[in-house]
Amino acid sequence: MNPTSVIRIKSISALLVAMSGSLLTTGCASTGSPIVGSGPVTYGDAKAVESVTNEFGSTDLQTMAEAMTRSLIQSAVIARGNRPLITIAEVKNKTSEYIDTRSITDSIRAQMLKSGSVRFAVDTHAMQNQTDELIRQNQTGLYKKGTAKKIGGMEGADYRIEGNIASIVKLGSSVKDVYYKFSLMLVNVETGVIEWADEKDIRKTSSR
Amino acid sequence: MNLVNAMKRVAALLGILALPANPAWADSIASKVEELGKMKYLNVSSLKTVNRNGLLNIQAEITNDSASNQQLFYRFKWFDGNGFEVGGEEPWKPLTIYGKQRQNITTVAPMPQATDFRLVLQSPDNETTSPSSW
Repeated sequence: MNPTSVIRIKSISALLVAMSGSLLTTGCASTGSPIVGSGPVTYGDAKAVESVTNEFGSTDLQTMAEAMTRSLIQSAVIARGNRPLITIAEVKNKTSEYIDTRSITDSIRAQMLKSGSVRFAVDTHAMQNQTDELIRQNQTGLYKKGTAKKIGGMEGADYRIEGNIASIVKLGSSVKDVYYKFSLMLVNVETGVIEWADEKDIRKTSSR
Repeated sequence: MNLVNAMKRVAALLGILALPANPAWADSIASKVEELGKMKYLNVSSLKTVNRNGLLNIQAEITNDSASNQQLFYRFKWFDGNGFEVGGEEPWKPLTIYGKQRQNITTVAPMPQATDFRLVLQSPDNETTSPSSW
């Protein structure tokens, strides 16, 4: 018997063992999954390309946020490496549909912070909580003197992010075409100079 | 200098990244690309990387061999120096590549710690040898 035929016999026997093993396991009950209930619910991939309808969707939000973040971290004022303080102003929704633009800017802010290249100051929406906390610590008399954070120590942002999202919708006899354009810019708060701007556009077409 | 350029060109033709300065980058395209199955009509014809301002920049050229438009879904995975995935999961991105078109995918690492990457590609026409066939 030559060595190759020995190997062949070994692999065939291994195959038979594997096949008998699979036959045995199909005979047994499958293991229980950690699931409660048997409703028609499945958990899918949150990062999958969503093509359910033509309206603004999760893929549009995710790709816009990602594209803007990647562009922003390469901008000259951020790439300099001195971790500037940024705040988020409003992103106007100029489309014909409801879009939570704050959700896009929240994603951008989270990804920017993860990159470690910037710091963020509380924006106008979080300001109420910020002032409430400071006032409670300083004016209720409940806190130890040394631990109450002083009023007047907040840092002003160097730059602000603002922009808008616009759309063009065209309806043909058999087709609906939606074009989204997300524009964002980084403005120097002191000088008013626009230090960076970029656009991300998305086209979605569906037959109807 | 000309010899180095000529070597780089030969390396690029052989499908090797044209950045042999860092040994970590002296890898083939295949080692940086993860195809879910085997793409029937599309292929990664070139892959370039460069470090700008501490961030890894990538340009991948996708070539469509067929005459018809092809759909591609792609995303990048980022790894730090220890091989751990960083930056979180990227969303899948759809891309249409016209018949016979060469399309570039460019991206930049989400953070300076991301020093290695994989380009994950899926095309609806991907082929695979299913286990039931043997």
